[in-house]
Amino acid sequence: MRRILLSTAALIALTYGSAAQANTTIELQRFFGACDADYGNVTDVSSAVGECGIITALINKFEADNPDINVNVTTVEWPGYDQLNAQLASGAAPDVVSMHYSAISDYQSRGLIEPIDEVLASQGISPDSFTDAARGGVTKEGQIFGLPFDNWTMLFHVNLNLMKEAGLLNADGTPILPTSADELIAQGKQFKEKTGKPYLVQILANETASYARILYTLLQQQKADFFADPTKIKLNTPEAKAAVELIKRTKDEGITTLGLDYAAAVSAFANGDGGISVNGTWLIGDYVAQAEKAGTALSGGYTVYPVPQLFPAQDSTYADGHSWVMPKKDRSPEQTAAIAKLFKFLAENDFQWARTGHLPAVKTVFDMPEFKSLPHRENIAEIAETGRSLPAAVQRQFAIQDIIGDEIGAAVNGDKSIEDALSGAESRINDLLANI
Amino acid sequence: MAKTYRRSQWSHGLFILPYLSAFALLLVFPLFWGIWLSLHKVDLFGPGRFVGLANYVRVFADPVFLQALRNTIVFVIVSVPSLVALGLFLALALNRTTRATSFFRGLFFSSSVLSVTIVTLIWRFVFIPGDGLMSVIFKHLGAEPIHFLSTSGWSLFSIGVATVWWCLGLPMMLFLAALQQIPADLYEAAALDNASPWRVLTRITLPSIARTIMLVTIIQIVMQFQLFGQAQLMTNGGPNGTSRPLVMYIYEVGFVRWDIGKGAAASQILFLIILCAAMAQYVVSTRKTEN
Repeated sequence: MRRILLSTAALIALTYGSAAQANTTIELQRFFGACDADYGNVTDVSSAVGECGIITALINKFEADNPDINVNVTTVEWPGYDQLNAQLASGAAPDVVSMHYSAISDYQSRGLIEPIDEVLASQGISPDSFTDAARGGVTKEGQIFGLPFDNWTMLFHVNLNLMKEAGLLNADGTPILPTSADELIAQGKQFKEKTGKPYLVQILANETASYARILYTLLQQQKADFFADPTKIKLNTPEAKAAVELIKRTKDEGITTLGLDYAAAVSAFANGDGGISVNGTWLIGDYVAQAEKAGTALSGGYTVYPVPQLFPAQDSTYADGHSWVMPKKDRSPEQTAAIAKLFKFLAENDFQWARTGHLPAVKTVFDMPEFKSLPHRENIAEIAETGRSLPAAVQRQFAIQDIIGDEIGAAVNGDKSIEDALSGAESRINDLLANI
Repeated sequence: MAKTYRRSQWSHGLFILPYLSAFALLLVFPLFWGIWLSLHKVDLFGPGRFVGLANYVRVFADPVFLQALRNTIVFVIVSVPSLVALGLFLALALNRTTRATSFFRGLFFSSSVLSVTIVTLIWRFVFIPGDGLMSVIFKHLGAEPIHFLSTSGWSLFSIGVATVWWCLGLPMMLFLAALQQIPADLYEAAALDNASPWRVLTRITLPSIARTIMLVTIIQIVMQFQLFGQAQLMTNGGPNGTSRPLVMYIYEVGFVRWDIGKGAAASQILFLIILCAAMAQYVVSTRKTEN
């Protein structure tokens, strides 16, 4: 009996001891997918690949380095704002949430997230350590509302094996990319004729984001100030018409894949079903990994470039970014300190995140030899200058994106005239913004 | 005697109090709260301001709402009769006690236990261009594949096929249960009269299960008006909003645009439509039974 009592006491003491060691818990909610089966126990971040793998390994490493902090991760379906809204409405928000720069103004203007200037200062993180684009993305009314993690854009992911077949390679092995709208169509036709496959792999079904990002890019390249007033969009313009006409021409001339949603478009390019995938920075790491494998459609034949300048006014690409924000809620000083430590860790490891293909948010990463030696980064470095986002004061950017995707998709698929689609998009967006 | 009877009624009422409380808390209160919200300009995160019927005016002036309403009505008109007819056909075919029929009953019901995510994933494999089953079949036959999920008309049709496949189990089981309640002597009498199978079906079987047909129809009308998950996951309402149902419109307005008042107004309209459809069906069927 005495032995049983002693053993029980020892067990309780042990349990209490380990609980006391991991005594601060923070709830982290993020998108980027779930991959615990592959990376659930990985703490060697350098061995992880892709957004999901790297962020999972980063959190594992942080927990291993800080045994007194427990990070409870909840993975949400991209972009996860519906779930966050419900949590905020019911007073059950997590401590740290992944958020696009383009969504921050919605939450900041409603007082739902906290400024983190002091949190950053407590760990000696200077706002000046971030790139202008990253700092601009998280700064609202002079305060910082999120830890910037990256900048991303849409890119031209190129299958060099098919481009060679199409006769679209320079002597040095780099792809011949279009420098105007007409060249895009001409090269697309040449590609189709030589390979029998579509030149572009685009997400034209079941998704709205892709249409909006390409439209913004083509409008920026024409220097169209379509959000001169952040509460009103102007889309009944010759520039918008020219942009949609170009997207539609890629369909009408038969040089693009049709009917592919996001997942199908990602795998179609990996399977060699088209020459150039118009998709985001986040796929670079995955496609590079496939190109390094023998026997895949991309083996030894993958590269990536910014969306080329197709209109003469200026070189520009629509850019956004990911950040980590703190929803407004009661926290203990220990939890706030733990979050500050986590932010410092993520900022210090921004290079690891940049391996996904995203552009770093921390300036010094650009100068790291490891970053410079990452494949294809020199091709896309210019995005640091050419990447542009929507004006920071524009609210409901995700809802706007949905409307644009709806209407432009209808025009591209021939269900509406381009003029009707642009008028429809303009009136729907302005109704939305007028009723905030 | 009458007094005792009345007194016992009051005390019996206490037995339903737990259910009544849950009903009032989870259904009646949200219903009235929804009506209250629909009269306010409000988001998810704080008190709003009273705007009267302005949200209803905005909803009826919104072409996207009218399109979603039309889509939903078309979907219900096509999917409910399909579910009733197919459910009845399967029940008639499987209304025997053999090993094969037991197996097929289980097989046809099995789709009902799947979540909407799995159902849409399966049908995505069928309809997606490129490597999808339909695409492969079309290519094999030398025909140009149809982009089922991104072509106007076909997208709602694809959602309908997935929905009928998913929801068929319940009508089949309800019809089977009803068929097994029909007294065997009616069929024996029909056999003695040498009635044809068609006559047996139309004069004995269908009249005997008329109330179940009504029940299945009402259940399906109520369920199919609430179409959401399949459309959200298979087509995202596209292309050009041609497969956007009303619930998806409510979700987009309320949760993506944070316009809870307008979303609540659209919800009340959907509630009224479902109520009217179910009541109309009920009234028509009751009159028939009385006649």
